[in-house]
Amino acid sequence: MLRFLAKKLHFLQLLSQNSEDKQESKSRESSQTSLSRDITQNLKVLKDILGPSNDINIREFSFGYEEKVDAAIIFVDGMVEKTTINESIIKPLMYDSHLFTPKESQTITTSIDLIQRSMISVGDVKKVDSFDELVDDCLYGDTVLLIDGSHEALVISTKGWESRGVQEPKTEAVVRGPREGFTETLRTNTTLLRRKIRDPNFIFESMQLGQRTKTSVCLAYIKGIVNPKLVEEVRRRLKRIKTDAILESGYIEEFIEDAPFSPFATVANSEKPDVIAAKLLEGRVAILVDGTPMVLTVPMLFIESFQSAEDYYSRPYYASLIRTLRFIAYTITILAPAVYVALTTYHQESIPTPLLITMAAAREGTPFPAIVEALMMGTIYEILWEAGIRLPRPVGSAISIVGALVIGESAVSAGLIGAPMVIVVALTAITSFVVPAQSDTATMLRFVLTVFASVLGAFGIMIVLLGVLIHLSALRSFGTPYFSPLAPLSPRDLKDVFARVPLWAMFTRPRTIGWHDPQRQEFRLDPHPPPEESEK
Amino acid sequence: MKLEGGKISSSHLTFLMIGFMIGSSLIFIPGQTAGHDAWLAILAGLAEGLVFAVIYTTLAMRFAGKTLVQFNDIVYGPYLGKAISIAYLWYFFHLASLVLRSFGDFFTAIIFPETPMIVFIVLTALICATAVRNGLEVITRCGLILVVTMSLAVLTTTILLFKDMKLTNFLPVFDIPLKDFIKASHSAATFPFGETVAFLMVICFLENVKFAKSSAIKALIITGLLLVMASVRSIGVLGVTAPIHTYPSFQAVRLINIGNILTRLEIIVVGNLLAMGFLKISVLYYGTVLGTAQLLKLRSYLPLVLPIGAMLVSFSILQFDSVIENIFFTFEIYPYYVIPFQIGLPLLSLIIAIVRGLPKD
Repeated sequence: MLRFLAKKLHFLQLLSQNSEDKQESKSRESSQTSLSRDITQNLKVLKDILGPSNDINIREFSFGYEEKVDAAIIFVDGMVEKTTINESIIKPLMYDSHLFTPKESQTITTSIDLIQRSMISVGDVKKVDSFDELVDDCLYGDTVLLIDGSHEALVISTKGWESRGVQEPKTEAVVRGPREGFTETLRTNTTLLRRKIRDPNFIFESMQLGQRTKTSVCLAYIKGIVNPKLVEEVRRRLKRIKTDAILESGYIEEFIEDAPFSPFATVANSEKPDVIAAKLLEGRVAILVDGTPMVLTVPMLFIESFQSAEDYYSRPYYASLIRTLRFIAYTITILAPAVYVALTTYHQESIPTPLLITMAAAREGTPFPAIVEALMMGTIYEILWEAGIRLPRPVGSAISIVGALVIGESAVSAGLIGAPMVIVVALTAITSFVVPAQSDTATMLRFVLTVFASVLGAFGIMIVLLGVLIHLSALRSFGTPYFSPLAPLSPRDLKDVFARVPLWAMFTRPRTIGWHDPQRQEFRLDPHPPPEESEK
Repeated sequence: MKLEGGKISSSHLTFLMIGFMIGSSLIFIPGQTAGHDAWLAILAGLAEGLVFAVIYTTLAMRFAGKTLVQFNDIVYGPYLGKAISIAYLWYFFHLASLVLRSFGDFFTAIIFPETPMIVFIVLTALICATAVRNGLEVITRCGLILVVTMSLAVLTTTILLFKDMKLTNFLPVFDIPLKDFIKASHSAATFPFGETVAFLMVICFLENVKFAKSSAIKALIITGLLLVMASVRSIGVLGVTAPIHTYPSFQAVRLINIGNILTRLEIIVVGNLLAMGFLKISVLYYGTVLGTAQLLKLRSYLPLVLPIGAMLVSFSILQFDSVIENIFFTFEIYPYYVIPFQIGLPLLSLIIAIVRGLPKD
């Protein structure tokens, strides 16, 4: 007991010491935030701040025609384009200073303005005079140029690092449609979006989140279509995030979402530029995060998870069929085990008689009741799925065959589980991939439904479904009701829910999101023969 | 702070009223005492119910923006008004517990004979409590989806039963004595149609109060049609045995047998009952809770939801000993018990309001 207290006191002592040290170092840093005119002093402070990392290169040199002036460039090896530094920064300073008249060249060395305007042949150059900004930019791939005698430094943009090229995203493969996907570099992603929307009203606002990672986050929206209050709200929610690290857009999603305790996601994400562009054009706001290809969009509606990009690139009849199929598949994936358990445990009279006889024969001699079978198989399926993601490629197919044969075949012939159960689980598994955006909620719902079905049969299932309906109707995503256009009903928007009407019939943007600029195209655009010319 | 900030549109109100009136009346046949003329009794009851609806909506439109509890204070004065409001709140509470009891009776009689009734009543009350906690808008949104699904289900089952219906079951038409017919039609008027008095608590949240009358009339006509369809289905299929069964609709749908594949569809009836019963209980529960909060001048009605729910559960179990008592009460006593609540007091309020020229602006 005493030792416990002593440990706690020691911990508190260390904690207070830690915060004092932090304050000291902060005050030390803040006293040195602006550069001095002396280059050696500046370099010393920089070496202090940046520490002994060996990928930070400091190249000192001197240039000038008559009088040589000391200068230094600092950059992070691996994040910069070396050719730019060599050709466009060092070379002009060292070799081209003889292009200026002696009078100019005298002022050149002390006037960093002149250097910025006339000597550095790089597109993006800015002046800074504080160490914080300097270090920030240097650590992100820019080169810092310090000149002796000047209290300002130049930050020259020379970003160039290894990054994955633009490829087809593995999670959202399409048969017809563009196969570009976002990459981990923010600038590439904004470029991909800007190529899709060439409107000058398409605005990118950037901010930095995460105190140690200083991740660049970009807000994208189309002014004139989007609701300005929505942009304001997104900005407000992003600004209140004060955390250590933002490593992926999922971190941001958890900080800004509307209902953290709801199983349903209220922030959509996608990896494809055409999907994000379409959502922006309906009046949503997109959030791009540096370092991840997943882009968030708000607000999100429930039916968005059932709409895929391919629906809009194929013709409407097949697309509508597949859309309806997706709803059926989602219903099957959440209800199949629960309905099986309810029917076999409580409502045997509801099963058609021939099927009832077959099922009873198949389940003859199995030791466990239906609910235990369902939960067991459900758990095994989840384990197989999780393992399948992490399997090394060469072993993958072998293990899946083993899984299917052993667990499916042998368990049934050994009499551990009934054959209908395996069929139900397989059906559930396949249909869960039809609506990938909702597969996590589907798993949770399926579990709850199965448990309630085992306790109260059909009544339990209906009660849970009612509860889910109430929850979905009450949920809002950034002010938009989650279940619109079904509830609140707007018949105009039902064009894109259960079926997909032809594109020439989609005159308006969704009412709850794009009401700022409702009309998106002209009327009567359906292809029709030209009107008959009147009789002459 | 406003007790309820939500606003609903007129089409939402129509759907909500349809769901409310269908409530638990789909499994019974309103006007059952008229035998095979029940469908005529429903139509006559519809006419009577329309009169009621006009009275209620006129009252509501006169006192736009005020719920029943609030305008009772204006019409009857502070003390008498509060007494009358308490009477109304008792009526809504009693009605909610009656519906819950019908629920429990149905499930324990037909589907789960071994389960104690309290399980169904408690779970249903819990679900209605979550809906009420989320507010009127959520109840309305759910109502829309549930009512559309229910209408489709009723239509489908009726169509599937066409081949089993015998038109001779409806003959002879109108051969019961007029007195019995009037009793049956009055029972049909009070059992689903007159209960829209509960909407006096809800109509004030319409976006545009002008549409209250048309929404209510539309809702009543559509409900009337649906109930006529259900009763025609039951009488046509079951014939003389229709008044004997406790739950005629259920027994009728059990007989669907299309090519030996579409059989055992009675789960649809169960689903309908659950969905519509949920709507009716939610609206009544909401009316009770909101009315109590307004009566006691509370800032929010949320703390009242669970206690009133607990009272609903215990009351619904205590009131009857068996389902026969429930049915006897519904068809013999209830039509006369509700006369003051559905006809007497609203008519009196309307007359006083017109005579005294209320509300004074």
